[in-house]
Amino acid sequence: MAQAPVRETPVETAVQTRTRFGDFRQAFLGNKLALVGLVVIALFVLMAVFAPLLAPYDPIKDQNLGERFDGPSASHPLGQDELGRDILSRVIFGARVSLTAGLAAVVFATVFGTIVGVVAGYAGGLIDAILMRFMDIILAFPSILLAIVIVSILGQGLTNALLAVGVVLLPQIARVVRSSVISIRERDYVEAERAIGASDSQIVFAAILPNSLAPLIVQSTLALATAILDVAALSFLGLGAQPPQPEWGAMLTDAFRSGFGVFTEGQHAIVFPGVAIALSVLAVNFIGDGLRDALDPRRRG
Amino acid sequence: MNRRDFLKLGGAGLAGATLLGVAGCGGGEQVGGGGGGGGGGGTFTYGRGADSITLDPVHATDGESFAVTRQVFDGILEFKPGTIEPVASLAVEIPQPEQGGRRYTIDLREGVKFHDGSDFNAEAIVFNFDRWRLADNEFHSGGGNQGSDFAYYSSQFGGFDGDSVVESVEAVDEYTVRFGLREPVGPFLRNLAMGAFAIASPTALEKDVEGFWENPVGTGPFKFDSWDKGSEVRLTANKDWWATDLPAEQGGGGPNVDTIVFRSITDNSSRVASLAGGQLSGADGLTPDDVPTIEENEDLRVLTRPPLNIGYLALNTQKEPFTDVKVRRAMAAAINMEDLVKAFFGDTAQVATNAYPPTVPFWRKETEPYGYDPDEARRLLEEAGLGDGFDMELWFMPIPRPYMPDGRGVAQAMQRDLEQVGINAKLVTREWGTYLEETGRGTHDACILGWTGDNGDPDNFLNVLLSSKSATPENALNVAYYKNPDLDEVLDKGASTIDQNERQKFYEEAQVIIYEDVPWVPIDYAEPPLGYLNSVKGVTPNPTGSEAFNPVEITGGGA
Repeated sequence: MAQAPVRETPVETAVQTRTRFGDFRQAFLGNKLALVGLVVIALFVLMAVFAPLLAPYDPIKDQNLGERFDGPSASHPLGQDELGRDILSRVIFGARVSLTAGLAAVVFATVFGTIVGVVAGYAGGLIDAILMRFMDIILAFPSILLAIVIVSILGQGLTNALLAVGVVLLPQIARVVRSSVISIRERDYVEAERAIGASDSQIVFAAILPNSLAPLIVQSTLALATAILDVAALSFLGLGAQPPQPEWGAMLTDAFRSGFGVFTEGQHAIVFPGVAIALSVLAVNFIGDGLRDALDPRRRG
Repeated sequence: MNRRDFLKLGGAGLAGATLLGVAGCGGGEQVGGGGGGGGGGGTFTYGRGADSITLDPVHATDGESFAVTRQVFDGILEFKPGTIEPVASLAVEIPQPEQGGRRYTIDLREGVKFHDGSDFNAEAIVFNFDRWRLADNEFHSGGGNQGSDFAYYSSQFGGFDGDSVVESVEAVDEYTVRFGLREPVGPFLRNLAMGAFAIASPTALEKDVEGFWENPVGTGPFKFDSWDKGSEVRLTANKDWWATDLPAEQGGGGPNVDTIVFRSITDNSSRVASLAGGQLSGADGLTPDDVPTIEENEDLRVLTRPPLNIGYLALNTQKEPFTDVKVRRAMAAAINMEDLVKAFFGDTAQVATNAYPPTVPFWRKETEPYGYDPDEARRLLEEAGLGDGFDMELWFMPIPRPYMPDGRGVAQAMQRDLEQVGINAKLVTREWGTYLEETGRGTHDACILGWTGDNGDPDNFLNVLLSSKSATPENALNVAYYKNPDLDEVLDKGASTIDQNERQKFYEEAQVIIYEDVPWVPIDYAEPPLGYLNSVKGVTPNPTGSEAFNPVEITGGGA
């Protein structure tokens, strides 16, 4: 009989966990837009992963100068660009570049933003004031302008562009993490950890971080949309991806560069990379909104 | 924040749509049509990519300044319409060299008046040349804050005071002026025809030399009216112009329109849209891809400017592996220049063979293009011990130039061709100012650059771009860093000879040397396209980049 409570406790915990996740899943899957977003992004990710299998042509080497800006046809469903390259293949390979760059920028922002947020929120006082005022300074600039300044200093190129975007996105993450750290830091279970003699790092990693995860996930997802857009914007301005790399923003600028004629003769060279950017950003935003609604504690009854 | 970014994206789409709308249906202010069929009168509105910098011609170096000063001023000589052949303008005829090219005596036209009513005579020419060449002259100043400080004078005539090749300028009588030169100068007469050396009113200069750049007074077919900086320059017809009865091939006739407006529209696409919408009579700065759009519009036509430029891929001859002429030849054989030029320039350029365009004298007809032959390129690389290929940096300019509207695209096409023979080119670009600075220091392995000529003399291309003295470690114009004493010698002889047959010999020899040694892979001689309304008649684009608009007429119908 003494074994009964021991057996019962884990069962109870498991049930409770499943219920929390079930809640979340139900809320998220109930959100039509979020589902659409998820499907679209899944397609883009598959496209990026299997790009060499899917793309009918090489995105860089298969140039055909004689077929400059030729419109969509059976062999080139999305038409050809200013070097006669297949736009479909470039959009497919572009998914690799654009999504990876956006993701890398967000990972950078999330890692460093979390560090700043946790340190500021947990330490408080002067350290908090200094770190957060510094974040305020970054926030005071329009994000794309600041990113342009950073790239101009570091030099143009995709790596520097995604670093710049990462820096620009960092304060948002830091702020969210800091506020949840502050709200958690005085909770009873944190006090309890402290009482049993846990070190600061144990408290942060065991008690504080796991409980700040929900807002962090939401914020990072929404930041991903901004990151994809900003990296494309920097590439459009010639500061990000360099030719001949197939990147959606760079594809746009390559087409625009050839003059007014592109509006009348080569719209497909502008439309398709533009649609790819718009779709992916839209999809990520839908997912982010869905996550936020699903993880909102006020929704839970 | 995310949503705001969406709005931005949507806004860009809308802007694009608006642009198309303007092109499609016109609307807004229309130009022309004032004449109503007969010819005379009307306003001619010319759209261009940038404003003028100074209207004091000797201080100008940019095409947009000369485009205006060409209307307000006349030179002693001018370039014949549509060519770079000098013809007499304020001079009665083209002078003959005396004393082996050390002296020129020039007869001047009588009865010519400046716009301020003062008389043009030999003293006016002496006054202008003294102002330009003597650093301690009371009027050796002006030009506005962005003026070039007599840059063209010092580059074309060797400098000021004792450095100037012009030793003396004197008025022999009221309508005869005599130049004494320190040594014979091959391109001397061509220099006199340059827009920079147009003759300004001494009375106006004496009155206010510092303000002359924004209040120019010359003898030309149009008088200066007003200048709204950054936006437009307005000129009115000079009804008493001295050359109204001169034949057209000497630059005479007109002025036929009452007013000329030079309007700056920086953005290429909006300028073309304004032209298509009927708000401009003509526009420059079209890209080759704009040409079909203009041609399809029944109210518009395309004119091309004869080439006075060259675009080239300079190979840094001081850097491995381009120190080896075999590697340089391999580069030339590896690139399919014919397809490349056709794709990026359409009908607006010719494939280049020599180091200067065929409009310039002594151009060597016999030079054949290097020709596309990847097998030959591989063989040459093998011979040079680079059978496995090599890595290099290929630099391209970030902005469109007249000789290279899409450097980025051209570089990518070259990269692809080079890869076929095992050469792995990494594309590099810099902001335009930095690009010129770094290529001028020799940072690059190979770079795409070009040049637009000033006076139509071969010396103005070869000496500037390929002589040892231009291969300075700082600010080099010879970005191939090509140093060949044999070439230097021929070029020096060519520059100091006035006998045309002799010069022909020297410059042909120079072109052979350059062809054999391949410091560049020549790309194109571009013929920049211009768009005009069909109702505008009498425009003859000049290779120099600016033409006088005195013969221009606006006929009925219009936009």
